Amino acid sequence: MKNGFLNCFRGLLATGLWLAAASLAHAGGTLTVSSAQDPGSWDPVDTYLVAWAAVATNLYDGLTYRQPDGRLVAGLATSWETLDGGKRIRFHLRQGVTFHDGEPFNARAVKFTFERLLGDQGSKGPQKSNYAAIDHVAIIDAFTVDFYLKLIDPVLLTKLAGYGAMIVPPDYIEEHGEDWFNSHPIGTGPFKFVSYEPKVEISLERFEDFWGTKANISRLDYRFIAEPATAVAELQAGRIDLVMPPGVPIGMVGTIKNKPELEVVTAPGPSVYALRFNTARGITRDERVRKAMILGVDRQAIIDSILGGYAAPIASFQSALSFGYDPDLSPLPYDPDLARRLLKQAGIKPGTQLRIDIRNNNASFNEAVQAVAGYLQMIELNATIKLYESNYFLNDIVPQGKTGELFQQAWGGWTFDYDNTAYFMYHTGEKWNPYDRDAKLDKMLESQRMITDRDQRQSALRAIAKYVADHALELPLYNPNEIFGLNRRVHNFTPVPDSRLRLNQVSVD
Amino acid sequence: MAGFLLKRLLQALFVMVAVTLIVAFAIRLTGDPALMLTQGSAAVTEADLERIREALGLNQPFFVQYLSFLRGLVSLDFGRSFIGGTPVSQLIAKALPATLSLALSSMLIAIALSVPLGIKAAVARGKWADQLIRICSLAGLSFPNFWLATMMVLVFSITLGWLPPSGMSGFSSLIMPAVTMGVILTATNVRLVRTAMLETLQAQYIMVARAKGLGERAVLYKHGLRNCAIPLITWFGLQFGALIGGIVVVERVFNWPGLGTLAFDAVAARDYPVLQAVITVLSLLIIAVNLVVDIAYGLIDPRVRVR
Repeated sequence: MKNGFLNCFRGLLATGLWLAAASLAHAGGTLTVSSAQDPGSWDPVDTYLVAWAAVATNLYDGLTYRQPDGRLVAGLATSWETLDGGKRIRFHLRQGVTFHDGEPFNARAVKFTFERLLGDQGSKGPQKSNYAAIDHVAIIDAFTVDFYLKLIDPVLLTKLAGYGAMIVPPDYIEEHGEDWFNSHPIGTGPFKFVSYEPKVEISLERFEDFWGTKANISRLDYRFIAEPATAVAELQAGRIDLVMPPGVPIGMVGTIKNKPELEVVTAPGPSVYALRFNTARGITRDERVRKAMILGVDRQAIIDSILGGYAAPIASFQSALSFGYDPDLSPLPYDPDLARRLLKQAGIKPGTQLRIDIRNNNASFNEAVQAVAGYLQMIELNATIKLYESNYFLNDIVPQGKTGELFQQAWGGWTFDYDNTAYFMYHTGEKWNPYDRDAKLDKMLESQRMITDRDQRQSALRAIAKYVADHALELPLYNPNEIFGLNRRVHNFTPVPDSRLRLNQVSVD
Repeated sequence: MAGFLLKRLLQALFVMVAVTLIVAFAIRLTGDPALMLTQGSAAVTEADLERIREALGLNQPFFVQYLSFLRGLVSLDFGRSFIGGTPVSQLIAKALPATLSLALSSMLIAIALSVPLGIKAAVARGKWADQLIRICSLAGLSFPNFWLATMMVLVFSITLGWLPPSGMSGFSSLIMPAVTMGVILTATNVRLVRTAMLETLQAQYIMVARAKGLGERAVLYKHGLRNCAIPLITWFGLQFGALIGGIVVVERVFNWPGLGTLAFDAVAARDYPVLQAVITVLSLLIIAVNLVVDIAYGLIDPRVRVR
C-alpha cells in the first residue's frame, strides 16, 4: 500500500516535471503551421506545389531571394552581371556558407544543382521546363559561376529564387541517394530538417550556422490538413499558430476575427480569376457581345459581397504585383444599359442561351460565377453553369476547345510576370489558347521575349494587356487576397503573396 | 471446412482481380497525372508532359501497366506514388492501422449502444421507451456525418477544450471520429436489433422458455439474442463494408491519416498506384470480414455447422 502511494507520488512528480519541461519548450519557441497538402517529396525538382514552397522556403536558398515585398535581392549569390547581350550571367557566390550537414556551399554545388535539374533526374519531374532557357553552368572558380543561356529569359533571375532552382548538396545526395533525399532534405536555409511523416507532418528546427538572419523560433512544425474547416478548428483550439492559404476560406474569416486571441492577416495573392470567351463559336465571336457581358457584370459588387472585400478588381489577366501591370488600364465600368444597347446592335435576341464552364473545386469562385450568371440574366442572357472535375476540365475540355461560350481561367504564376500567362493564353496554337488566331498579337507576344531592357519590356507587356482588353478576349473578374489565420502569440509576421513564407524573423510568446 | 475455405479464397481472388481491373481502367478514363503534377501550369509544353508520362510509365499499353501492378502485388510492392515518389507500401503501412483502429472502434461503439437499446425497444414495444429510442434513431439517421463531426468539434474541442479537433495523437484523438461514425451506425442498427428481437420474441421457444419459468433476463439474452444473432451478424458484416466507404468523410474532417484520406487525395491527383493499392487493400479487408462472418455463423448456430 505504502509502495502504491509512493509510486503514485512519483508518477505525479514525473508528470509535473514533464509538464514544466513541456511549457519551457513552448517558451523556447515552437511555431506550428497548417499546410493544405503534403507534396510527398522535398526534392526541389519533383514538385510544382505551392504547399512544397511553403515549407521548402525555410529549408533551401536560391542564388537570388525574393523578399515578401517582391524585391529581388542577393541570396546565395552576392552579386551578378549580365554578359554577352543577355546570353550569359555571371554569379559571384557567398562564401562561408554550409549546408545543414556541414557540407560547404560552393560553385560545385551550383553546377551540380542545375545539371541535376536539367538532366535525367529533373526530366522525371515538372520543374525542368521552367528552366529550359539555361544551356549549362560553368565553374569559373570556387565561388564564381557562369550561366550560359540558350535564349534570353527575362524572368530567369526571379525563377532562380524559388522551386527547381534551390541549391542542393552534391555530396549528401551522392552518398545517400535520391530516395533518401526526397524524404530527408538538406539545404542551406534558416531551418533544418528534423523528421517527416508522410501525410501527417514535417518538423524543422533552427539552423544555428545559417548565413543570414538566424531564426528566432527554435522549432517549426508543419501539419498537413486538407480540410479548411479542420485547419480553422485547430487554430481556434490553439493547437496551430498559423494557417497557410488556402486554409482560411472567406466564409470563416468572421469566425477567426471573433476570437480575441486570433487574427486574420492578408496580402494580395498571385492568382487571378477570369472567365474567358470562346471567340471561335457562338455569340461570343462578336466583340460587341463580349464587351456587353463585361459591362453587364458588376465585378466590384461581387468582390464586396461574395469575397468579403478580400480581392481586387482586375483589368487584364494579372495582379498589381505582376510585371506588365498597368495602373492606368482600368476595367470597363458596370453599365448594364450600354450592355443592352451593344447586344441589340449585335442582333442578339433577349433570352439567348449560353454556357459557362468552370472547375468544381473553389467554393467562392463558384459563387462568384453564379452572381455573374445573375447579372447576365439582367441583360437578358440566359447563362447555365456547368461544373467539371479539375483534371477533366484541364485535360479534356479547355485544350480540346470543347468549352461553352465562357470558361474559367485561374492561374497564379509565382514569378509575377505577365509573360508567364499571357503568352500561353493568347499565342496561336498554344495549349491554353484553343480559340484565338491573331497574327498581330502573336508578334507582340514573341517580340517582348527578346527585349532585355526592363522598361521597354514593361511597356511591351502593357501594350499586350491593353490589346487584349480592347478586344475583350476575357471577362476579367478579380485577384483574391492570400488569407492567413494567425494566433496573436506570433509576432513579426509578414504575409507573402505566394506562400513562399520564410519564418526566420517570426517570434512566439 | 478446408474445402469451404478454398472455395472462399478462389472467390476472393476473382473479386480482387475484377475490382482492381475496373478501378485501374476507370481511373484512366479521364484526366492526366502529368497534368496534375504540373498543376496545369502554362510553361509546361507537350514534350515536357510526354517526358513526365514516360518517367511515370504511363505511355505503356494499359494491360502492360496492369500486369506490372499485379506482379508487384505478389511481392507486396505497390510501386511509388506519382506525387513525390513515396513507396506506396509505406503509405499503406501507415494508413491501414489508422483506418482499422477507427473502423473497429466505431463498430464496437455501435454494437455496444445498439444491442441493449434495440432489445429495450423491442421489449417495451409501443411504450414510451420504445418511442424515444425510435425517435432518437430517426434523428441519428438524419444527421449527415460531417455535420455531427463539426458539431462535436465545436463543443468538445473549441468550447470545452477537452479533445483535440483533429489528427491522430493517442486515444483522445480517436474519441470524436469513432463516436461520430458509431452514433450514425447505431441509428440504423437499433432498428435492426429491435425488429430481429421482436420476431424472435414471438417464436414458440420463447414462450416455452417463459413457461419453464425462466427469468426475463435469461429469456432475452440466452434464448432471444442468440437466435436473432444470425441476421445481426450478417448485417454488421455487410455494414463494415459500407463503414469503410463512409469513413472517407470522417477521416477528412478529423484529418485522420487513414486509407480514406489516401484514396481521396489519390483520386484528385490521379495517383494511380496509390488508388489501386488502397482499393486492393480495402477489397481484401471486406472479403476477410465476410469470411469471418461466415465462420462466425458456424460458431453461433450449430445448425449451420451440421450442414
